[in-house]
Amino acid sequence: MASANPSDRSEAAFTYIGKSRHREDGPAKLVGAGGYVADLDPAGSWYAHLVLSPHPHARIRGVDTRAAAAVAGVKAVYLGDALPEADLLAESEVFYAGEPVAVVVADDPAVAEDAAELVEVDYDVLPAVVDAEAAMRPDAPLVRQLEDTAGRADAGAHGDAAGGSAKTEERPNNVSAVVKYRRGDAEAARAEADVSVTRRYHLPPLYQGFLETHGSSAHAERTGETTIWTTTQGQFMVRNAVKRLLKLPDYRVRVVGATVGGGFGGKGVLLEPLVATLSQRLGRPVAMLLDRQQDILVNNPGPAADIEVTLSARSDGTLVAIEARLVFDNGAERGGSAGIACLMLAGTYRCPNLDVLGYDVMTHKVPIGAYRAPGAPQGYFALESAMDELAGTLHMDPLQLRLKNAVQEGDDRPDGRTWPRIGLLECLRAAAAHPFFEEPLGPNEGIGVAAGGWGGGLEPAAAACQVTSEGRLVVQVGSIDITGTNTTFALIAAEELGLSPDEVHVQFADTAHAPYAGMAGGSKTTYTVGLAVAEAAKAVRKQVLEIAAERLEAAVEDLDMADGAVHVKGVPGRSVTLAEIARDTARFGGRTAPLIAEGRSAVTKSAPGFAVHAARVAVDPDTGEVRVTGYLAVQDVGRALNPKEVEGQILGGVAQGIGRALYEDLAYDSTGQPVSTSFLDYQMPTFHDVPRVDIVLVEVPAEQGPYGAKGVGEPPAIPGAAAVANAVAAATGRRVATLPITPERVLAAQ
Amino acid sequence: MTLAAFAYQRPRSLAEAVEAMAEAPDARWLSGGMSLLPMMKLELAAPPALLDLSGVEDLRGIRDEGDFLHIGAMTRHVELARDPAVRRDAHLASLAAERIGDPQVRNRGTVGGSLAHADPAADLPAALLALDAEVEAVSARGRRALSVQDLLLGPMMTALEPDELIVAIRIPKHTGHRQAYTKVPHPASGYAVVGVAVAIHEEGGRVRQAAIAVTGVALKAFRAARAEAVLAGQAVDQEVLAEAAGLVCDGQDVLGDVYASAAYRRQLAQVVTRRTLEGLR
Ligand SMILES: Cc1cc2nc3c(=O)[nH]c(=O)nc-3n(C[C@H](O)[C@H](O)[C@H](O)COP(=O)(O)OP(=O)(O)OC[C@H]3O[C@@H](n4cnc5c(N)ncnc54)[C@H](O)[C@@H]3O)c2cc1C
Repeated sequence: MASANPSDRSEAAFTYIGKSRHREDGPAKLVGAGGYVADLDPAGSWYAHLVLSPHPHARIRGVDTRAAAAVAGVKAVYLGDALPEADLLAESEVFYAGEPVAVVVADDPAVAEDAAELVEVDYDVLPAVVDAEAAMRPDAPLVRQLEDTAGRADAGAHGDAAGGSAKTEERPNNVSAVVKYRRGDAEAARAEADVSVTRRYHLPPLYQGFLETHGSSAHAERTGETTIWTTTQGQFMVRNAVKRLLKLPDYRVRVVGATVGGGFGGKGVLLEPLVATLSQRLGRPVAMLLDRQQDILVNNPGPAADIEVTLSARSDGTLVAIEARLVFDNGAERGGSAGIACLMLAGTYRCPNLDVLGYDVMTHKVPIGAYRAPGAPQGYFALESAMDELAGTLHMDPLQLRLKNAVQEGDDRPDGRTWPRIGLLECLRAAAAHPFFEEPLGPNEGIGVAAGGWGGGLEPAAAACQVTSEGRLVVQVGSIDITGTNTTFALIAAEELGLSPDEVHVQFADTAHAPYAGMAGGSKTTYTVGLAVAEAAKAVRKQVLEIAAERLEAAVEDLDMADGAVHVKGVPGRSVTLAEIARDTARFGGRTAPLIAEGRSAVTKSAPGFAVHAARVAVDPDTGEVRVTGYLAVQDVGRALNPKEVEGQILGGVAQGIGRALYEDLAYDSTGQPVSTSFLDYQMPTFHDVPRVDIVLVEVPAEQGPYGAKGVGEPPAIPGAAAVANAVAAATGRRVATLPITPERVLAAQ
Repeated sequence: MTLAAFAYQRPRSLAEAVEAMAEAPDARWLSGGMSLLPMMKLELAAPPALLDLSGVEDLRGIRDEGDFLHIGAMTRHVELARDPAVRRDAHLASLAAERIGDPQVRNRGTVGGSLAHADPAADLPAALLALDAEVEAVSARGRRALSVQDLLLGPMMTALEPDELIVAIRIPKHTGHRQAYTKVPHPASGYAVVGVAVAIHEEGGRVRQAAIAVTGVALKAFRAARAEAVLAGQAVDQEVLAEAAGLVCDGQDVLGDVYASAAYRRQLAQVVTRRTLEGLR
């Protein structure tokens, strides 16, 4: 009997699980038949364009919309106070450069864009709080009233973020959350330790850099029925936001998740409430697509962080104290990345004494959101750079130092929980055994290693399976496929049913038709929806077997399913095909009830996933240029359901890690103006920048995930920056503690 | 990101082009469109009319004119990079053209457009400056020649009148001279953070003439006169090269930006110059 529980089956027993399969959505994407939101153009649609504030902080004295409204084709111009439910336009004050202040709707997108230029906003420019550290000073002006902030795309939607303890009375100025992990007496332990290393690290904000910018369109019927087509990672999340803001019952809002051209955490809820509101007001479908510059300005990027870490150890490498102070710059809304960063920074290594303090701080910058593993790359860049420095100080192999201190099952987490079965040690061992470290180094080359981990998200989920009249299986889900999850679902259903994955079609359905699934984020889609798919397929299998038992005059226990047919065990030839059974479920006069079932999951235990990366870099000693010449990525994936896809996730994560390490910087000038608002300035890594990546999949099964699988999306995006920084340090003897590691910083480093 | 409306014309001859410009004085010439169209998309330019030069036969082709190569203004970067005569007699121009953007940009972008656009980080201006090239310009008032040195005034600024167009570049032959172009591209835009173009003419083991031109470093491409002077007449060794390289930004107001500060850029220019010179030995 097929089971999604790992302990029931050994690998050899799988027919489809663990065998690589091409992504189902690949061919359509290759030929440009993707069904992206920009390709959908609802009949009779009008188009909206935003007017953005050029000032990081200003009061809106007045707005003259007459010239814009007078343009032929313009249907409406709205200011923020007229559209409070849109939750996007400023009302009387702007809090970041790029904040939308008005929206122009026209019958042609170019007309809307041109007319938006004519909206004249009279600003009373106010002093801006740009630096997070400065924002915390007692004399710093308030960025805005904390109560006025809801927190846009919530980074917490992604992770198993434990809050730590947050005491409001200790909050410095402009701090929306304080996270604190204390254990033992860190200061005393440091005083007695044999060695300590201290350094302050800085990471800039990052743009997720998806190919497809944000876009949404909506059609509100006069009855209130509202349909929204949008590029989002979570259609139910959009529905819930829109129904709340527009005060509609949830079933009245139908969200159709379009094909997503990249999300990485950045595609949550953004334009949807606005287009829905506009459509409601105007009685027309309204569409909006951000251009790249607007996308960079309005989209919720990953936060900047300033992290000071002190590690103290005995001379044998035993960690005795971790002290850290983390400041996350969340822009002009409350944010929630410091929690995850503090938890991982304090919880990856066994350490009796902790003093870790994190702040989520508001400034006059665009509100941050989630970017692949929110908070973790920041925390681990600091922690793993510091571990490397500690290893250097101790003259110890950096992998051995980590092996000596790594947490394992049963160890305390700083949040009072204990670690479940995790694969950190296994990853470190697999890395240490890899020939990657034996290849000879060229001149000015060095290797750096770093670990990273992700708690893994949870959310209830459901899925449905139905056998078609031809005996194929249709799996219905409401989760957005950004990473190849639908292909994995096909493998899961195929495995459960003994049916070739070629005969399984995974159908995505909108919020009005699909069973519930959470946002595709936090590395939880396969982990949670995958289980629901397995449950649904299992239930269908049961139905099939019961019918077959009757037909074959055999007991259910004596039946088995393989290759799309039910066989009596040990009696070759006594079988009935799924197609034969199915035919009777969908014909006039048929006597067999349709084969259809739902599966549900509410996983209670998250499955943290760890990864260990090693980067080899060559540094030009005269120019400071860094080239990544080799890369090893080891990751505990629980079980690789579709290994090729898992490797694809890792490859992408490695590229993003290299981008974070060497190139990407959503820079602001000292007045709060964003200065890298196009791809002419914002550097994404390209194929040229990513070397061949050796990938090792470690399989330490999760207790509850399907077949032991863990979420694999986030972990590979975490250790890269530290691995590269450590490699640069190995090659040059200089430690760059500020990202990105530009050639200039390499030369300037000590 | 949507272009504003504009009129479009594609004249069939030089005379027609000049006439069309006289009739629509606010019009802009359109060659490869690789710089002009992005500017229009970003609304940095909104010309009411474009005069597309791609139909003007007189602007095409590469000709041998004895001591000079005549290169039509509409010559695409890819042609400049590959043309055997250019590779033989003005190799530096090919080497720089090869390093421009990506294949699409090289297939569309033109020599005339690049010079007229005068981006301070563009590749060709440095190479053509080092090669002592000359520009031929035409307007309703007639034809004139000016050196690339005189053409380039500053960032996106040239000595061309608004109605004037470049019809050709004339490059004195540098057959047998050692030439090299080294570029450190900005990782995002691909334009030069530093680009160094070098042409060295040696006779009997001594430098007779050295030309070093630099792009990406100042408000316009420039000749490194002090560095050139150090090399002139010398039998070149490591020490001389290093001395020359150290002077490459002499007298220049070096640019700094988010990616590279002025100090770093100066150092980078020195390193790149030294390496380029060493590479020629
Ligand atoms: C993605 C990308 C990457 C690039 N990378 C580089 C790079 O690495 N290095 C580099 O040097 N360049 C680069 N470029 C610019 C490229 O070289 C352009 O081709 C060049 O700058 C302009 O040439 P064009 O023929 O496209 O001119 P256009 O865009 O057609 O015109 C540019 C300007 O020159 C004027 N003009 C055009 N032709 C004439 C003429 N004959 N006489 C007078 N005025 C004229 C136009 O009116 C306009 O003002 C890049 C461009 C792109 C899009």
